[in-house]
Amino acid sequence: MPELLPWEKVGSEFKKVRKRAGMLIDLRRCVGCHACTVSCKTENEVPLGGFRMRVRYLERPGPEQSTIAFAPLICMQCQDAPCLTACPSKAIVRGEDGRVKVDESKCDREEECITACPYGAIFINEEKQVAEKCDLCEHRTDVGLDPACVSSCPSEALQFGDFDDPEDPVTKIAADAGALGWKENEGTKPSVLYIGHEPWMEEKANSGVQLSEADMDVTYEQNNLEVGKR
Amino acid sequence: MERKTLTRRDLFRVGGGIAASGMLPLPSFAEGISAKPLAPGRLGRIDYSKAKAVPTICFGCTTHCGVVGWVENGRVRRIDGNPLDPNSKGNICSKAQGMISYTYYPERLLYPLRRVGKRGEGKWKRVPWDEALGEIAEKMRPLREAGTPEEFVFHYGRDKTKGYTKRFTNAFGTPNRLNRRSICSSNRRAPLMSFYGREFEWESQDFENTQYIVNFGGNPMEAYQGGLYMMHRIQHARVDKGARMVTFEVRPSATASVSDEYYPIMPGTDGAVAFAMIHVILKEGLENAEFWNRWANYPLDDLRGDVAEYTPEWAEEKSGVPADDIRRIAIEFAKAAPACCTMSNRGSAKHYNGVQSDRAIRTLDVLVGNVGKPGGFCLSSLRGWAGRYGQEGLPKLSQPGPKASDPMPWGLGEGFNEDAFRKLPEEVQERVNAFPEFWRKKYFGELATPSEYPLAWHWYQMRVGQLVYPYIKESRQKVSVYMSFTLGASYGYPEANLAREVLADEELIPFHVAVDISYSEQAALADIILPEATSLERWDHHSTNNYGLVPYTGVRQPLVKPLGQSRSIQDILRDLARRIGGGMEEYFAFDDMEGFYREWYQNLPISWEDFKQRGIWMDETREKDYELYERPLTEAELADTSVDSETGIITQKESGKAVGIVKDGKSIRGFDTPSRTIGVYDEIWPIAAKAVGLPLDDVNASPVAVYDTVPEHRDLPEDRYIFTTFKWNVHTQGRSAHWKYHSEIVHTNPVFMHPDTGAKLGLKEGDTIKLTVFRPKGHTYRSGEEGAMGAFENHVRFLKGVHPRVMACSHHVGHFEQGSVAKAENRKSAPEQGIDSESKAFKDADIPDKLWWSREKNGIGGGVHINDALPINPCPLTGGQNWYDNVCSIEKV
Repeated sequence: MPELLPWEKVGSEFKKVRKRAGMLIDLRRCVGCHACTVSCKTENEVPLGGFRMRVRYLERPGPEQSTIAFAPLICMQCQDAPCLTACPSKAIVRGEDGRVKVDESKCDREEECITACPYGAIFINEEKQVAEKCDLCEHRTDVGLDPACVSSCPSEALQFGDFDDPEDPVTKIAADAGALGWKENEGTKPSVLYIGHEPWMEEKANSGVQLSEADMDVTYEQNNLEVGKR
Repeated sequence: MERKTLTRRDLFRVGGGIAASGMLPLPSFAEGISAKPLAPGRLGRIDYSKAKAVPTICFGCTTHCGVVGWVENGRVRRIDGNPLDPNSKGNICSKAQGMISYTYYPERLLYPLRRVGKRGEGKWKRVPWDEALGEIAEKMRPLREAGTPEEFVFHYGRDKTKGYTKRFTNAFGTPNRLNRRSICSSNRRAPLMSFYGREFEWESQDFENTQYIVNFGGNPMEAYQGGLYMMHRIQHARVDKGARMVTFEVRPSATASVSDEYYPIMPGTDGAVAFAMIHVILKEGLENAEFWNRWANYPLDDLRGDVAEYTPEWAEEKSGVPADDIRRIAIEFAKAAPACCTMSNRGSAKHYNGVQSDRAIRTLDVLVGNVGKPGGFCLSSLRGWAGRYGQEGLPKLSQPGPKASDPMPWGLGEGFNEDAFRKLPEEVQERVNAFPEFWRKKYFGELATPSEYPLAWHWYQMRVGQLVYPYIKESRQKVSVYMSFTLGASYGYPEANLAREVLADEELIPFHVAVDISYSEQAALADIILPEATSLERWDHHSTNNYGLVPYTGVRQPLVKPLGQSRSIQDILRDLARRIGGGMEEYFAFDDMEGFYREWYQNLPISWEDFKQRGIWMDETREKDYELYERPLTEAELADTSVDSETGIITQKESGKAVGIVKDGKSIRGFDTPSRTIGVYDEIWPIAAKAVGLPLDDVNASPVAVYDTVPEHRDLPEDRYIFTTFKWNVHTQGRSAHWKYHSEIVHTNPVFMHPDTGAKLGLKEGDTIKLTVFRPKGHTYRSGEEGAMGAFENHVRFLKGVHPRVMACSHHVGHFEQGSVAKAENRKSAPEQGIDSESKAFKDADIPDKLWWSREKNGIGGGVHINDALPINPCPLTGGQNWYDNVCSIEKV
């Protein structure tokens, strides 16, 4: 059999079995290019104004610090997911590999999940009248592809793996670098782990994945000006 | 400015307003989850088990990465990287998906249009291709028959056909195939060619093996040609291999932000820092004298003398970079040699003194001897595969024949176009007649080869695009037919208002044809618009320098058929040539475009089918391009050559071309310069200065790098600032503002300034200012004219990383055409006759209703057009636009 080209290794036979699917986000490598966001929106046809993931542009806080830090934020695929618990119609479910996803057929858009999520990861898709968030591109991972954002990241700042598998290279990198969840003190046990994030970033990007008037970012500029007005 | 405050709840409700009734649920692909009905214009999740993957080459920016497009039900749904591309290694950036945005843009042009009102009035009728091409041919044919083909001007913004458009202009007989290189990179290419020769106008640092990078104003993390190739290598070297990167910039770019050290620098002073580094390296004895003496064409002691006064303290005074840091960085850089490299781009080069700054920066690499070494400043083959320097042993690839020869040069005498020459203004004729002999055969009139800027065409025709409109206005060249090809001059050139004025004038431009994919500002001023196929629908040859240092080639191939009636530029020019006739058709006697490209690649050692399936070919066994200059010449290369006993230069007897040099008794390749050494010293600069009357004490006239402050920055009053423009990572010049997901991220262009500067001016964030720009003071276009040349109003933002004397404002937005997304409006504006926005292929659930940043929705809008307020400011000799010198004043509105 001839050797398959990289894009020919696609199909259910290439699906990997994982127990704790998750993502490693290495801020030392992120160059803030927004490839992940645009890629995600193209892949998932995310309506303008809503975000499954978003790169935050945060000016470093110290008087001597003159550069910008980049922080891709996304649904943290929490092991103790407040959205899942909060949903009265049980429309948020956990997949066999631990990922958290919205069952659109059950969603009655009570929006309890939005309030419960500490990461702003969920928004209402008015077209479909459902809550929407990242599901780690299940349609891609089911055929052996990485999630769209990971596949698009040009600097290996985003990597997809199984944090339950100690032999998974991504798990090893995370362990070696002491990767931690965003806002660990929320106690949601995220399956998205970060390398290189600092407490001030969590504070400054507290509005999370969705656009917010509290944004202080350099991009998505509309929101920041609200700050200027105050 | 009144703005509606959105509630958190409002912000979470997006994409509303579309009735979803009557739609059947699509089958679900993700296990256990059934989807709600989709809104019109949404397609549902891609079924990758059924979609087809086709490799091609990205067209999202100038880097051109190998990509794979996923096609489902005849539509391109998704772009991934092609891991077989040795340059990008399967990486892509956000702009790859932009190809999908522009291919299926609801306001994409799909039908040929003929204007029916006045030019620029916006009234159009749809015409058949036959009629459109027929009318153009009728206008063009008489020019050729009358022996005045130069009155046809072809001007492109982005042409990656690798010579196909030249096939057309040569066949027609016009030398006027114009571009925008001066707008972009000519000030950086000229110093490189002066140092390393024609074949190395672009360098290929070995970033994956480097330990130390000193970056003078390059921004590969956002906008550099080849930036993505550099980005992943630099980040890998930094994070995994401990390399350090130091960046000098005027604002906190993404590259500055990921660098290990960032120094805000006074614009136009990069050269001062480079010179001080040379001073330190020589003082500390850290130079590689052996390499310098072997390869530099300039005595080390002379260099020592040149930089004696360029101390770190002197450089600190000029640049604001602390002397101690300059000293330390110079020592660290030199000690890392040869695994160290400089990099620079527009930040250092697009200044009045920019070519000399870049020559100083290039000197640093020669001084520490990292040139061509692992981890160092390397050179790798760039263009086509035709057996040139660095292409030895590669299969030859060439555009299939027959091809017409170049037009005759303009001048007096046999073999020259005397008629065209005699129509030039007398002073131009005099200047050209006095040119040195070696330029006479390179002169083709004032548009292609402006006589006042000989270093724009000494190495090859880089041209001076921003002078095209003033020159046409001054009647330096009569124009009868003007064809714009994906050109954004009316929006994005400096003094774009002048471009619009000239294009609107039917006496200056009697007939204007625009080839474009959307209703651009340029197309709006055409008489006929021809809708072009997009990069996902056409063929192109691809080859560029590989930062992995092994030449490779790729092919752009159609993933889907051209939509509507759009046609590829290749088809358009072929069909037009056939209609013009008169022998032109002989050069376009092919119907099968795939066959044409198959022939182009016929010498590849793999089959056409294999190549199309892989998208990329490279000889995996070929050794990397380290130290090309030390490689011995082969027997064949040495045949019929002679050696100059004094210089050791080996010359082909018949052609007179230098091919190598004798060193230590061995015949080796050397560098691709006339001296076969590195052109640290190059007489071409003063020769060019003398030819155009530039005073020899001007910074640009020096045969060896020197420093001089930008003329208009001398004695800069306290209330004047330097206005600098920049590019965002999600945008590509003026051709991305209509990509919805990209403009959602960046749709404004506030003026960024340092908070202390803001405080001094009594400003707070969000305030509106008027920014007024003044003309330059060096030897250049309309230099020294008093008073404001232009102004605009915009709001301000503060960033600590902006140099306190800098006003930084990006230039991709503020469109007044390009349809609803670019204009940030919730209504279509491209001519109805040209688009098909209600058809299934172009139905988009977001456009135009969901553009949340529009003014109609109380949003901030689509930014401010600033390009009318940027003066045409060509650098002496090269013509490179000095974008970042402009002095401005600020008033609160």
